[in-house]
This record gives sequence, structure tokens and C-alpha cells, in this order.
Amino acid sequence: MERPSGRLRCTGEDSLDLLNRLSTNALMDLPTGSGAHTVLTSNKGRIVDVIFVLRQADHLLLLTGGGNEARVAEWIDFYTIIEDTEVEDITSDTTAMSLMGPSAATLLDSLAGPDAAPAENEDAAEVAIDGVHATTIRRDVGAIPAFDLIAPGTDGPALREAVTDAGACPVGRSVVELARVEQGVPAFGAELSEAYNPLEAGLQHMVSYTKGCYIGQEVIARLTTYDKVQKRLVRLAWPADAGVDPGSKLMLDGRQAGVVTSAIRDPRTGNGAGLGYVRKALIDAGAHLTSADGSSVDVAGPA
Amino acid sequence: MVVAREKPKPLTISISPEAAEHVRHFARMSGKPDSHLRVGVKGGGCSGLTYVLDLVDEFPEDDKIVEEHGLRLGVDRKSYVFLAGTILEYSGGLNGKGFVFNNPNARTSCGCGTSFGV
Repeated sequence: MERPSGRLRCTGEDSLDLLNRLSTNALMDLPTGSGAHTVLTSNKGRIVDVIFVLRQADHLLLLTGGGNEARVAEWIDFYTIIEDTEVEDITSDTTAMSLMGPSAATLLDSLAGPDAAPAENEDAAEVAIDGVHATTIRRDVGAIPAFDLIAPGTDGPALREAVTDAGACPVGRSVVELARVEQGVPAFGAELSEAYNPLEAGLQHMVSYTKGCYIGQEVIARLTTYDKVQKRLVRLAWPADAGVDPGSKLMLDGRQAGVVTSAIRDPRTGNGAGLGYVRKALIDAGAHLTSADGSSVDVAGPA
Repeated sequence: MVVAREKPKPLTISISPEAAEHVRHFARMSGKPDSHLRVGVKGGGCSGLTYVLDLVDEFPEDDKIVEEHGLRLGVDRKSYVFLAGTILEYSGGLNGKGFVFNNPNARTSCGCGTSFGV
């Protein structure tokens, strides 16, 4: 399956330090072969993108939101002044696919040898699959094990053939989207945008409060200290006949209580599922809201 | 207390007499009395850009050099556009901030004054 992402290669001895100063997570202690998700934030503490930073032997591999690689490269380049850092967009030169599901690690090990599948989330390994060299990165989708395979672009067909021959079932974007929504994982362009901050998006685990300054740090520290986060990302559910789309307003007692950011129909039940931002008081499972057309939308719990 | 604010000449970087004296003091304390002050800007910090101060034995070839109050000041060339018109001052005392960049290009600054946005 394909998980939307852009890919950047960052070289230069100041790259990790620069990214540490531009984003929310603590990156300086990343060992080679490990990565971390971190949030690029504006000086207002709003989300520019969530990126995955993988430390490799002589460079950093960055995974950005799907289609956002040029913007992220531009963002990093803007803040590269005195630093020894170069950013190269390698999205079109590389291919990326993901093995996802409870058997993904076993399948990967059967293809590339024992221990090919990293045991820890956000760890990586260099593997060879039918002669194709690939970087595999464990990036679970919520509770679902998932492994990205990144290889030179020309090796895409061979890699795809190898994993399907080994028993992987190719699935389309709608299946990936359903898994993402069910697991409450925010996506660039839907839940992740400059309309929201990392605390609203449930990305506290990507925010370091001890590493020092980064762009937007003062705003995020203030939001935390004074408990000023007004809304939170939640999982939503609605019946099959409800008219709910991304952008639909969610109402409670005649007042807007939130907004839908992702909406998908579950083919197993016919019901709708989605993600959205609601007022902080409504994040626990069971809150009953209505969409603008009067359809019932329930909060299924925090994302 | 910030003192000796002077109007800078356009597109130059100035240093106040107090700041120059403190640079010399820190150079002596660091065991490098003949070193020079180098200033620049790096990405990051609360507001997006952060000032960098360093003592160096010699400047990189393409630095812009300013001489004032007996001090040679090197400015990283790529940083110059963010610093043109800046006066480097010194804020002393118990609540002082140390070296302070009075930068006309800064549209926003963070609370501690080491970071700015343009």
C-alpha cells in the first residue's frame, strides 16, 4: 500500500541541530538508524507539517506530509543561514510503499532475512529484497504495525512484485484512509495545518518541554502552562444515511461545537467514520453532536 | 539597563562603547585577548531566527568587517541582510540581558530577546 509522504534528503553537519531548533521534538540524541516524528511549527505555534526525521550515517532522511515536500524544503531553506545544511527533494527519485498489518513484520523478515523488520516504532534498517536495496522504517499507524519501504524510484516495480509475491495484499488509498481514521492518526492537509496547533492535534508526545527554544515554543509553553487548549482532535462516528463531509460543522444546543476534518464510509458496516476537532469539554466518548443537516454525529473518543 | 543607543548609519552594524568593552573583557577572560567578535544569525528560536555571537581568531574570507571603538566585528555575509542597521549593545546589572541586538529588521522578538522574526 502507499502512504502519502514526501521525501527530503538533508546533508551538512548542522542539519540535525537546525531541525531541532525548527521543530517541537528533541532530536539531538537520535542514534544513527533511529528516527522521530516532530512538528514544524510557525512562530504562532501552528502546524506547518509533521515530519519524520531519520538519522542515517551521513545524512538525514525526512518524510513530510503527502505533497508538502516542496513547502517543507522551502521552510528549512528559509531558516538555513549560517548553518551547513542542504536540502534535496528526492520524492520523485525514490519509491515508497508500506507494509501494514499484524503479519507485516513476519512478511518483511521472510523477504529480507531475520530482524529486517525493526522491533521498535520509529527505528529503521537497511534491507535487500530480491536484489533491491531499501530503507525500511517502522512507522505504526496507531496500534497497527506498519513498515515503510523506501528505495530508488526505478526499483519500484521490482519491490512491489517481490512483496506481493510474498503474500502482501495490495490495497488502495481508501483502505489506508480507513485504518488511519479508525486509529485516530491525523494527516497533513486534513487535521494537520496552520489552522491548528500540536496540542489540539493530540501530538503532545512529539513536543519536548525541556530541550530549549524552537519556533513557536513560547506559544506552546504558554498554552500548556495556562491550560489554554480550547479544542481537541477526536474520532467521530455517524450512521450510514448522515450527510457528513470534511468541513461539516458540528453543532450542540444550536452552537457550533466543532468541525469534521476527515470523513470516510466503512464498507464493512456502511456507517461513517471520521476525525474532527471539538471543544475540549466534549472529547470523551459519548458526546452527541449534530451535523449542519441535522444528522447525528457521535464522539467516539480522543484521537 | 540598555544604554548608549545611537542611530545607526544605514546598512551598517554598530556596537556601543559598553558592548565593545564587554567583548574585550570576555575575550580576556576566555584567554583569547586578541580574538575578534563575529556575529550572525541562525534558524530557530522562539521567533524563527536566533542571534549568534562568537569569538574567533580570524574571520572567514567573505565576512563583512566593521571596526568601531577599537574592536573588529565580523558579520556572516548571509546573515547581514537580517542584521543591517543593528546596534549591538550591552545590558548590565542583576536583571540585565547581556548583549542586546537592537535590530530594526526584527518585527517580532521572543521574551528573552535572543530570537527574532522578520
